[in-house]
Amino acid sequence: MSVIEVKNLCKTFKVKKKEKGLKGSLKSLWKPKYKKIEAVQDISFSVEKGEMIAFIGPNGAGKSTTIKMLTGILYPDSGDISILGFDPKKERKNLAYEIGTVFGQKEQLWTHLTPYDNFKFFGAIYDIPEQAVEKKIEELKGLFELEDFINTPVRNLSLGQRIRCEIVASLIHNPKILFLDEPTIGLDPVVKENIRSLIKRMNKEYKTTVFLTSHDVGDIEKLCKRVVIVNHGKLVLDDSMENLKYHYLNKKIVEAKMKEKVNLEGEDGISILKDKGYNLKIEVDTKKKSVADALKLLNPDNIVDINISNIPLEDIISDIYQGEEK
Amino acid sequence: MLTVVKNQVKVTLLNIKYALMREMLNKTTFITNIVFMILNNACFIVQWIILYSIKDNVGGYTFKEVMLLWGIAAGTYGVSHFFFEKAYTLADTITEGKLDVFLVQPKNVLLSAITSDVKTSALGDILYGFFMCFIATLTGIQFFLFFFFCITGGIILTSFAVILGSLSFWIQKADMIADTGNGLMTNFATYPDGIFKGVVKVLLFTIVPVGFINYIPIKILVSFQLDVFLLIIVIMFFVVFLAFFIFNRGLKRYSSSNLMNARI
Amino acid sequence: MKKYVFIFKSEFMSSLQYILNVIFGFIGYAVILFVFFQLWEYLYSDPNELINGYTMSEMVWYVIITEILWSSLGGRKLCTKICNDIKSGNIAYNICKPYSYIGYVVSSHLGSIAVKTAIYFLLGMIMGFFFLGGFPKLSLISILLIAFSSILSLGISTLLILIIGLFSFFIEDAQPFYWLYSKFILIVGTLFPIEFFPKIVRPILNYSPIFAICYGPAKLFVHFDMLYALQVIGIQFIYLVVVYFICTLLYKKGVKKLNVNGG
Repeated sequence: MSVIEVKNLCKTFKVKKKEKGLKGSLKSLWKPKYKKIEAVQDISFSVEKGEMIAFIGPNGAGKSTTIKMLTGILYPDSGDISILGFDPKKERKNLAYEIGTVFGQKEQLWTHLTPYDNFKFFGAIYDIPEQAVEKKIEELKGLFELEDFINTPVRNLSLGQRIRCEIVASLIHNPKILFLDEPTIGLDPVVKENIRSLIKRMNKEYKTTVFLTSHDVGDIEKLCKRVVIVNHGKLVLDDSMENLKYHYLNKKIVEAKMKEKVNLEGEDGISILKDKGYNLKIEVDTKKKSVADALKLLNPDNIVDINISNIPLEDIISDIYQGEEK
Repeated sequence: MLTVVKNQVKVTLLNIKYALMREMLNKTTFITNIVFMILNNACFIVQWIILYSIKDNVGGYTFKEVMLLWGIAAGTYGVSHFFFEKAYTLADTITEGKLDVFLVQPKNVLLSAITSDVKTSALGDILYGFFMCFIATLTGIQFFLFFFFCITGGIILTSFAVILGSLSFWIQKADMIADTGNGLMTNFATYPDGIFKGVVKVLLFTIVPVGFINYIPIKILVSFQLDVFLLIIVIMFFVVFLAFFIFNRGLKRYSSSNLMNARI
Repeated sequence: MKKYVFIFKSEFMSSLQYILNVIFGFIGYAVILFVFFQLWEYLYSDPNELINGYTMSEMVWYVIITEILWSSLGGRKLCTKICNDIKSGNIAYNICKPYSYIGYVVSSHLGSIAVKTAIYFLLGMIMGFFFLGGFPKLSLISILLIAFSSILSLGISTLLILIIGLFSFFIEDAQPFYWLYSKFILIVGTLFPIEFFPKIVRPILNYSPIFAICYGPAKLFVHFDMLYALQVIGIQFIYLVVVYFICTLLYKKGVKKLNVNGG
């Protein structure tokens, strides 16, 4: 059964173009010029119950616009949305009882109150009886490991602790779908990892459908079985994580600063991107050669500094485009 | 239906309670804000003492009635700014995309948005309103009426601010229009209506509803008239309805913070 | 001196971007003027009647001038800025710069309000003309002298607010003092000429800043007299020197305190 159904969704923003200087601002006062930005163009997809789906794309690709239309924040220009049978356009309130939302860049919590008081506030917003709220808080406190700071005012919490509280606050009313917009933005890698595993645990425990947006491939790799990629408002790819991994995430970028020069020319599964004497940048195809083997070739004793990263999302997208052309 | 209203009221009151708690974190600032506002209003008594030394009737009002006019003006302003302070920055809330939080909650967006902050100094205005009642020596029933008009006036004032703020769904720089419009209300509210003539007087009882917030209540306080009293209530419901209608119409054009991103 | 002209100029240029805000701000000012016009029209049963020596049109012109001088000053913003400069320690950066902080504040503030003041004067005159159907009879020289006196008034006002701001060196929060000052000027200074107050307080008001920053220039506008003009401008100069002296003194003492505390 699909819980999210989206057909031919479109959204265009009109942005006023401003000319420079006093003359320009006076001119735009009388005769404003508008530029159309097509944020979302004809997107269709569906999500099954209990699924964890990732919506990824570079900044400004239309991810946030889409998630905002799904949750009833924005009105779509055209197209149909059905979330658990509700139309967000017409049944915003009814829908709100059934979904939870976390916006990484926006705070929903009162910062001068403790997480506990905040959760009770959200309980009131969703009309949950007092006892039920307390029971739910107790349950989520354990799941998200909030014991240490549940009675500390939110303003004194770290960013990672805050995000955990934000997620718990959005789960108080047992939502059937959880929307997460850039939940790990601005967090350090360790905290990111922690949040990811908590989300995974939550999905297992409650069978909540999770709809997540991110511009960080790492987020998705660990969490989701299915990936949707958008770019310039259009759907680029809707595929299983396994396929994506097989085709595009099998390559790692290794940047190393060496004590001695190494020649890797002609090694199978390694292509040299940059070789400036002691500074080396290579791409390792993990299907052919493991990262460990590649490091061995570099000789760990010779490495002064090293950085291993995924291929940037932008490169994957342009790869996908090129694949289509072929 | 009744439980929906009950739950809505509960959340609105919680909003106000928590916002007040935030203001009270610093006790000294909290109290100075209130005291200074009372003093601020009291300063203007000097102006009226001088004006009444020139003539013992200004715009058909006695000195006591002008004090009562100030009482109502302060009381309505206080009620509106204390409970609904965010109505006065609604234009910014809209253009900065800060309605998102309220749109994902199963409660009324406008109510949640305008009750999410309180203005401490407005408590000073409310208190000042009651001081003026004592100066004007009101009877018990008059006092009750005064209290009632502070609420109806506060609600009309808030609705007016919401309508002006909602303009920013359609036009840029609506914040400036709203600031000007709201400031204008206070200016008219603190002078007797008898000094205005012609078109202006008509405006004060139509698109600038100062008449229904301040002038008519004063007249009812001086001599009670049931039909005019009921008219105020009808007008209040009408303005509230209009505010919700315009805001909800605009909400369909809400663009969250996407426009900001697009500008870069 | 050249550097202060430059500071003035650059603030002036950047304030040009906010011309639209100024025009919107003027609407609020225009409403206040309108209310006053109606009020005085009501109070004067006959326009030629004299109340405390003023005809109706003189009374309204008086308020137009004082309100222009007060509304275009932007005093609260200036005071907040100075207080923040001191509280945040930003003022320390000014100590090592080759200009005086006082000169910097005055030239930059006057630069930032110049456009606003000019627009307010222009539109205020137009409004007055429409309300009252004419201008007071003024010769070119008297107009120049009134303009000069108005500029002196703005300069003195700026320095007075600077003095209040500099209190921040010595006390926790100087804003309440600004508040008291602004209420004093607004209610006692801008609404009525000094003649409207009881005889006992008039001498006090004559020596208070109200004479130099409100009453002087406004009175010249409604009742020009060459001898009186020279007197007003003379008093304004004395005021200017005295407040400047107090500013320097407070600044020096304040900076010393800053050094002792280590910033």
